[in-house]
Amino acid sequence: MGLPATSRLARLLIRGGLFFLGWLTVTAAPAAPIMDFVPPAAGSYKLERIQAATEGAVIDAKGKRRRLSEFTQGQVTLLAFMYSSCADPNGCPYALTVMHLVKDQLEKLPETRGRVRFVSLSFDPVRDTPRVLALYGGDHSGARQHLAWDFLTTRSRRELLPILHGFGQDVGVDIDKATGKPVGTYSHVLKVFLIDRQRMVREIYTTDYLLPAMVLNDIKTLLMEEGVRLR
Amino acid sequence: MKNTMHVKNPARKIALTIAVSATLAATPAFADETSCSPYTPLIKGQEDLVYVWTLGVKGVGDGSDKLVTVDVNPKSKTYGKIIHKLSLGGRGEVHHVGLSDDRRYLWGGALDSNKIYVFDIGTNPAKPKLTKTITDFVQKTGFVGPHSFIAMPGRMMITPLSNNKDHGGETGVVVYNNKGDYVAHHAMPKDGGGDGYGYDAAINPAKNVFLTSSFTGWNNYMMDLGKMVKDGEAMKRFGNTSVMWDMKTMKPLKVFQTPGAPLEVRWSWKAGDNWAVTTTALTSKIWVYKQDAKGEWQVKDVATIGDPAKIPLPVDISITADGRGMWINTFMDGTTRYWDMSDPMKPKETFTKQIGSQVNMVSQSFDGKRVYFTTSLLGNWDKKGKDDEQFLKMYNWDGKDLKLAFEIDFYKEKLGRAHHMKFQARDLSTLKPLDMASNLPALLAQKQ
Repeated sequence: MGLPATSRLARLLIRGGLFFLGWLTVTAAPAAPIMDFVPPAAGSYKLERIQAATEGAVIDAKGKRRRLSEFTQGQVTLLAFMYSSCADPNGCPYALTVMHLVKDQLEKLPETRGRVRFVSLSFDPVRDTPRVLALYGGDHSGARQHLAWDFLTTRSRRELLPILHGFGQDVGVDIDKATGKPVGTYSHVLKVFLIDRQRMVREIYTTDYLLPAMVLNDIKTLLMEEGVRLR
Repeated sequence: MKNTMHVKNPARKIALTIAVSATLAATPAFADETSCSPYTPLIKGQEDLVYVWTLGVKGVGDGSDKLVTVDVNPKSKTYGKIIHKLSLGGRGEVHHVGLSDDRRYLWGGALDSNKIYVFDIGTNPAKPKLTKTITDFVQKTGFVGPHSFIAMPGRMMITPLSNNKDHGGETGVVVYNNKGDYVAHHAMPKDGGGDGYGYDAAINPAKNVFLTSSFTGWNNYMMDLGKMVKDGEAMKRFGNTSVMWDMKTMKPLKVFQTPGAPLEVRWSWKAGDNWAVTTTALTSKIWVYKQDAKGEWQVKDVATIGDPAKIPLPVDISITADGRGMWINTFMDGTTRYWDMSDPMKPKETFTKQIGSQVNMVSQSFDGKRVYFTTSLLGNWDKKGKDDEQFLKMYNWDGKDLKLAFEIDFYKEKLGRAHHMKFQARDLSTLKPLDMASNLPALLAQKQ
């Protein structure tokens, strides 16, 4: 991560799309955990096989019904649960920031091309329609991309909930005390899942553990485990 | 476990979780529980409930171990009262509990049966429900006596006390995922000065370190205390070391000599602090771990607690959220002691109060204004006869004195021995992260 902070921040904002820019201008900047250590070198440690990645029915940004496993096997996958209207600086916006930072670094490594994928899967099937997610995430998928980044949603809560359950992702609907009606936000612990080519979850990150340098090294570690030679 | 294996329809279960969350009030707050994992969201306000992990006693009530839920919100009509009891239907020397990474589950261990119980405390925090009992701990690890439960994202780190080869003190660190499935285990180091013993653990995410302490094996912790102290050989079999691990790789970085059974370990969460603390039960010392100018971890004996010749037996500790103070309980004299930790290398005892004939665990709220005490150390180590008081007491602390707010006699209530406590909120949407955060520029500048 050698670029000056200002230029990288500008690039991050552009790539994050209009929604992210809007968020950043009206709320506090994401709060980043302190990292007062040099992360262990990629490949110098083992990532445990924590649990199997969950299967489920999803909808891609073009509105096509897909199986989640299409996005969580064959490549090293970084999967985050999010919703587009999340304004908690310790939540979805922070994950988005970290994913952009890691993506920047991976794009500097030609050996990682086509071997790593990002997935953002929405908590909010009602408001996060494919069209909204396309606007939110931009077009990062497709063979021309160094790293495909798919923004997915589900047809209903009924289809979403088993996926959340399988991954162990909590969520609660926030309610207005006065009216008793949902306010449109969700309480959840930010979780990002690193999944290997065989659909095993190899690392799980929450806010204080989601450090871009560590995530990058974990991705490299899984690639090296597969025999990919990295610079 | 999480969202659980015993629910036939997981979608329905999560829908219930959402429904429960949706029906509860949302109130922002301020508080802390400094013994929690840094990955567990915290109650930064008035805690609503206290769970007390309680050892069953033959002839007392149903004689079984229990999870007891106490209402501790002063605005509640049932303030200071037991509102729920969950009997486990047997005795297994239950000891400590730990919260999951989302605070929706509570894991509790039993030192003799080696069972681990997982309770759903998210769907209805006032009525915990047992969702899974893990019974493969010894089979999977070779270790005995699951003690501390420290949440990592998506999994639980467990520190056992013993092993199934000789029931001595050599042990390790175990990882289960949140579903309750075994993931990995790591042996405590026996090289570099290590004795292989284990007890408690605490994480410092900013430093990527995992600090463990040491106690004694099944042969000792299940022995009658009076008999053990007269057994010279048994008294030699206590841990004298603590270990700093690389948290990411789970490789030991350094073994420290901290003689006399270093028990609970706590990090100061004050921004910029880089020290942790423990106390040694048998030598009655306070030890501080701190990085030196070269970044190497060092440990120093910084103070003496009471009169070591009388073996006051320092047991649980509770550090304030700002790292400026610490409660230390000494079991034998039933006394709690407040230490000023403003200069952790030169702490000073500033207040003492006898809580009962014996006292073990201490837990304080984030603002430090409420301090909770319980009594049981181990089933065979608690005092006998009239000195075997078993209670939960809550005091208000104004910085000068502890004033009793309520107490519950666990024998009168036919419950048993009151041991470890954890707080819970009725509305989980009020939970807040530990927040050791810096800011975006700091994130962008993170080292590679």
